[in-house]
Amino acid sequence: MVQERFTGVGLGLRRPHLEAVAARPEHGVPFWETCPENVIGDGGRPHRDACAILDRDPVLTHGLAISLGGFDPWDGDYLRELGRLLIRTGTPWHSEHLCFTSVDGSCLHELLPLPFTREAVRHTVARARDLQAHLPVPLLLENITYYAELGRAEMDEAAFIAEVLEGADVGWLLDVNNVYVNALNFGFDPREWLARMPLHRVAQLHIAGHKRFGTLTVDTHGAEVIDPVIELMQWTLARLGRPVPVLLERDNHIPDLEVLLAERTRLQVAYDDILARPMLGAGHG
Amino acid sequence: MAEASVLKLQQALAALVLDPEGATFEDDPAAFARSQGLPEKDAQSFQQFNEGLAAYRELARLSLVEPIEIMFPITKALLEREDAWEPCIEAFLQARCVASQHYRDIAPAFLGWLAETGWGQVTWPFLLELAHAEILEVLVARFPETECPSGLHRDPRPEDRLVLDPAAQVVSYRHAVHQVSEAAPIPESRLTHLLAYRDGDGRPQLMDLTPAAATLLVQAQTESLVEAAAALGLPDLVATMTLLEELRDRGAIAGYHGVS
Repeated sequence: MVQERFTGVGLGLRRPHLEAVAARPEHGVPFWETCPENVIGDGGRPHRDACAILDRDPVLTHGLAISLGGFDPWDGDYLRELGRLLIRTGTPWHSEHLCFTSVDGSCLHELLPLPFTREAVRHTVARARDLQAHLPVPLLLENITYYAELGRAEMDEAAFIAEVLEGADVGWLLDVNNVYVNALNFGFDPREWLARMPLHRVAQLHIAGHKRFGTLTVDTHGAEVIDPVIELMQWTLARLGRPVPVLLERDNHIPDLEVLLAERTRLQVAYDDILARPMLGAGHG
Repeated sequence: MAEASVLKLQQALAALVLDPEGATFEDDPAAFARSQGLPEKDAQSFQQFNEGLAAYRELARLSLVEPIEIMFPITKALLEREDAWEPCIEAFLQARCVASQHYRDIAPAFLGWLAETGWGQVTWPFLLELAHAEILEVLVARFPETECPSGLHRDPRPEDRLVLDPAAQVVSYRHAVHQVSEAAPIPESRLTHLLAYRDGDGRPQLMDLTPAAATLLVQAQTESLVEAAAALGLPDLVATMTLLEELRDRGAIAGYHGVS
């Protein structure tokens, strides 16, 4: 059922487009992804439009600031509201970032990297298992873009992610743009990197644009997706051998809805094209 | 605690992002790490990845400051005239009072910090009012959807009390802070009364109120309409009722209930 409802290329639901999307049921987008932090506890016209879309269209949920790898306690009220939202939307899973966002009660509103250490693996696995126990749907974790290792690493990023996913026994929201950006910044081959990973855990892909600032490439979500990232998406889909949903993210320099719909269509063509070809692998990394 | 070193690293990165000492990070990244109590192996890692770590200071501060700059453009313009905007933001970030995981709560956290600390209000006595006025419509626009009390009726009777819509606010300022601009950010010293509410479409609206109307909307929530009007010396109850009906039709008043 999930495969039927969530395939193809969806779009991140963003505030500037809510009114237009709510008024346009025939938009051609197979599913949306919404950030619960932007819905829970909100009000007013945009909120009403968002709720109308969530109640009408297929929706996946993707958290921004729960601080999965942090140490601050969960906000119990928020988790209860989150659980209600997940049930209301009928999302088959809920995703969070493999990072921390708050320290000592202060939220930094940035996806900050966890140390690649055994201690951090143990801590993050315990937090992910605990969060999963509070959610009514399976939890996915997303690999982030990182710009520095935090402290002396005991393993590389790939090993860290794999150990957390396996230890917590959760699914993977694989952001192919993040892999691409990390490969640029740290000088590795993204395909070799992916080939090492537990791809059988992948339930969804993210794709987005990025920008280079000096020697650093930053995951801005503020530009069109470039061809090499689309090719990496196709390579990943072929390797997976199954039509997992892909979500186009755009958070900065958000264009008109029509422009974004056209970009989604371009990605959908690439998605359909690769899935129509004979598959390369059995999906077990 | 088994994960003490992970927490210590996270605290060091938070300090790098938020604290004034973070600005000196690039001079000697390893020394900064040591000053945060990190062991030598981590200090060397801070040295090795100094460029990427410095990027986090920039990115995270941008995430926190951008909504404030968007929501408070006139406050920013006012303080920039005195080179005080950057010190204001520095003090706010150092106070670490953004606790909410909701991005929309960053700007209200800044307002709360201004109110709590009184920052700048000796120099600019209207600063808090100005900042409040700048965000008033947003606070009303995004007020969480809330159920109105049950049993309210639409048409006011003299013995009723009124119930404002949960999102509506009656505010009084000592300055005309709703009439300033980025070019002219200093308000006239004049008592100002405003009603901010959501209309039937859920969009924010702002209305100037007379002092009597503002007082009536506050008083009539705790005493009957006729008592509130009499206390204010409003002789024409019919005119008062007409005003209240209009405000109900606009969405500012949720309804009326009898005095129990």
